[in-house]
Amino acid sequence: MISYPLFKRNFIQSLKPLTIFVSILAMYVIVIVYMYDPKLMEMLTEYQKLMPEMMMAMGMSGASNSLIEFMETYLYGLLMTLLPFIFSIMMCNSFLTRYIDTGSLACILATPNSRKKIVITQALSLILCITLLMGISTVIGIASCQVLFPQQLDIETYLILNGCTLLLQFAIAGICFFAACLFNDAKQYYAFGAGIPLCFYLIKMLANMGEKLDVMKYFTIFSLLPTDLIVAKDPQVIFYNIALAVIGIVLFTGGILVFNRKDFSI
Amino acid sequence: MSVIETNNLTKNYGNGKGIFDVSITVEKGEVFGFLGPNGAGKTTTIRNLLGFITPDQGSCSILGMDCFKDSARIQKKLGYLAGEIAFLDDLDGRRLLQFIGQMKGIENTNRIEELMDYFELDPRGKVRKMSKGMKQKIGIVAAFMADPEVIILDEPTSGLDPLMQNRFIELVLEEKKKGKTILMSSHIFEEIEKTCDRTAIIREGRIVAIENMESLAGKKRKTYIVILESEEAANRLKGEMLEIQLVKGREVTIMSNGNISEMLQILSRYPVKSLDIKTQSIEEIFLHYYGREEK
Repeated sequence: MISYPLFKRNFIQSLKPLTIFVSILAMYVIVIVYMYDPKLMEMLTEYQKLMPEMMMAMGMSGASNSLIEFMETYLYGLLMTLLPFIFSIMMCNSFLTRYIDTGSLACILATPNSRKKIVITQALSLILCITLLMGISTVIGIASCQVLFPQQLDIETYLILNGCTLLLQFAIAGICFFAACLFNDAKQYYAFGAGIPLCFYLIKMLANMGEKLDVMKYFTIFSLLPTDLIVAKDPQVIFYNIALAVIGIVLFTGGILVFNRKDFSI
Repeated sequence: MSVIETNNLTKNYGNGKGIFDVSITVEKGEVFGFLGPNGAGKTTTIRNLLGFITPDQGSCSILGMDCFKDSARIQKKLGYLAGEIAFLDDLDGRRLLQFIGQMKGIENTNRIEELMDYFELDPRGKVRKMSKGMKQKIGIVAAFMADPEVIILDEPTSGLDPLMQNRFIELVLEEKKKGKTILMSSHIFEEIEKTCDRTAIIREGRIVAIENMESLAGKKRKTYIVILESEEAANRLKGEMLEIQLVKGREVTIMSNGNISEMLQILSRYPVKSLDIKTQSIEEIFLHYYGREEK
């Protein structure tokens, strides 16, 4: 079903960026966990009073009483949503767009492997890369909490939070993947594959400002990761997750179908 | 059954670009040339054969299999060299060939080493930094490495030095002896002349002629350029029973289809200063298809 030499090549190619992104995320996770301190909490609450718009736009608002709530507020608004997305854009580029844009796809297509097999290999590699990134940073998060504040992290909720974030990243990677399959040109790929999720993020920032702009939250995929509901263990979260999974599956399947049929000028 | 077959293959890119009603057949063991000016549609036809694009109309098949639907099955028996070579730049030469070999499912790498020796290919260094000729050699090795039954080559010798061009021609002839079927596009008449059995000429997306190279060689004419001592003598020569192509001052160009002794007898009566023989090249025979010289 998949091409192992190509899968192996993808894995080798992704090692370096994966290491870099894991390091960045690990650094932030550890720093944020380290910052968890009731005294500092007061200061951050002061910040929220001084510049509420700014903090709200970043998603860094709300009460932060427990360690998990603290992490939810300061990690999942910006870092855990944007960094894996940037990683997806890069990996999708090296797994698909670079081959199509330069024409080196001919090296891969001129072998006894069907297009379907090749594109499925690339899709699975991309999904595996994001899962690895999220998985490793989850482990690092749990480990740093256990070292710095033993017994204070609600591990089950933390795992659910990361699982939901992974689903969001899967759906966003679907956007990148679909764009990579659709366009022959790297510029167009970036314009849509990266541009659409970025627009969603800007809409989310506007929606976070509240009041009249609140209605904007219906126009962004990031609303499907309701971190406050997840931390509050709201049972509705499952519907958000289903929506993300469906979006991801549709986009990945669509990308595979487009890739199977399209003309390549290579 | 023909090995490579296209029936009224049409791919219209608009503005008169593309290919229209291209029908060619290549039989087993045949080396088929594909000649035409830039942008005539050679590469478009080859892309159809490789299954990279789907035709608007018509069909094409290799070994009886549909070029688009069955491309993975065809690839088991096909070697391909792209016209515009783009490789996986991040690899070095040997890794790249290994990777392509793995993708093709080759277990025995002896042929790769053999071909690398044959083309004096030094596979060290990143492919990105390699010269056009080096990349071309890697492409040729990749095309022949799996010992394929059918080989499609898009301008195979571009970037190669004359020595390597000759080695390439020898390789093609060797493969031909083994009964391989080869389709190659080219600009270089000499390599087509040395290797091909038949040649199609494509112009503005349409096949304008398919020539048998052997009978074409018979059509080659010789011209004799005679320089006489005076213009007066040249004018007199015009009156003789010879096929005179051109008279320019003291220089007379005579065409002949073999009756040389008759011509020499006539010439012996004239004050000839020099005599040059010019054989019409295959290039000249073909050039009129290109439709440039009339303009």
